[in-house]
Amino acid sequence: MALSTIPFSGLGADASNQGVNFRNLIINGDMSIAQRGTSVSSVSSSGYKAVDRYRYGAGSDIVNTFSQSTDVPSGQGFKYSHKQEATTGDASLASDQYNIFQQRLEGYMFQSAKFGTSNAESLTLSFWIKASVTGTYVVELDNIDGGVSQSQSFTVSSASTWEKKTITFSGDTSNAISIDNGRGLDLNWWLGAGTNFSSGTLQTTWGTQTASNRAVGATNAFASNNDSVYITGVQLEVGTSASDFEFLPYDVNLQRCMRYYQLLINGADQSFENFTSYNGASVYCAHRFNVTGMRTAPTGITSNNTNDFAFYSQSNAHFAPTLSFDHIHERGSWIYCTMTTSVTQGSSLFGKSNTSTALCAFDAEL
Amino acid sequence: MNIISVEKNYDLDNNFTNYKITTNENCVYFAPHNEANRHYQEILEWVAEGNTITDNGGAE
Repeated sequence: MALSTIPFSGLGADASNQGVNFRNLIINGDMSIAQRGTSVSSVSSSGYKAVDRYRYGAGSDIVNTFSQSTDVPSGQGFKYSHKQEATTGDASLASDQYNIFQQRLEGYMFQSAKFGTSNAESLTLSFWIKASVTGTYVVELDNIDGGVSQSQSFTVSSASTWEKKTITFSGDTSNAISIDNGRGLDLNWWLGAGTNFSSGTLQTTWGTQTASNRAVGATNAFASNNDSVYITGVQLEVGTSASDFEFLPYDVNLQRCMRYYQLLINGADQSFENFTSYNGASVYCAHRFNVTGMRTAPTGITSNNTNDFAFYSQSNAHFAPTLSFDHIHERGSWIYCTMTTSVTQGSSLFGKSNTSTALCAFDAEL
Repeated sequence: MNIISVEKNYDLDNNFTNYKITTNENCVYFAPHNEANRHYQEILEWVAEGNTITDNGGAE
């Protein structure tokens, strides 16, 4: 290429350039990371379930299975989609019931959007969806810092068929998103909404959030048993047009997810930390480094079953049902446990998970 | 998260270090006293509903 043909702004600034420039504000848009597990069944409560970074907002009687599916749109390069299937549907949502699939985005992601200034940029969302129930659905951007939101509708035209949707949201010149590690903006797919959220007029411009205007016209995607919605290729980017999906290397995607959730142990026979006996009963891992710095001081999570963790010292095996955590911060923590049998004070132990139910993780999700 | 109980957790120097949360899941959570932590926020909501955090002091 002749030097004169390179745009003054550089190659990376051109949205048609398909290289990686981290233009996608969504993390794990290709659904490739699922640290918590590839399938979680009998879900009826809100929370983070299977695929990393995506949260289920439950407010209905629907019972779901969430999974990382290999059903993907053909020829687009995706390996996985997120699947939500209602094992128990709900044909009649009460006025206060809803069903939301969402990603909560950190404020640091929105520096380039320039919200709250006269130069606020539009945001364009693109994604692939395959739903068993056709009709109108609603996707919403919820500016948590500003207390404002904007909703747009889209249509699923053919049942159980992959369709690509592209939706542009205007920039918000009035309400900023704080550039920090807090919850800046929620991307919400409304997959069902009672009249408390749908009896008004859809709020298609930025404005103070009014519950009844959030999801006007949203179809109930899970009215019947076995109704399902698959989503993949989620990309939210600055500007008024959608570029091709930005595939990241798997390891980069994983590390980005680990800012919010890090799984150390999930199942039997996985190596663990080295510990030292403090007083015969309690053993401590002096400091455990997180794989990458987390969004904020995380919650330590551990399973709670008999003999979940095994420790070996001086030719003996010792067991502990659960772990505890001290001095947690973004980069690490102490891990300790109380053994079911005494360990000689000062001796070192090396540990592993001992049962299929053993779990140790750190959670800094929004 | 369906919280059953919350107990203050103390370190070796008997300093408060985090909250131990027991839920109806088969997991135990240790949430730091941190406004940006979502589980700490859930503790605040749980307390606002009239529940009480257990404090057995730092003597272990």
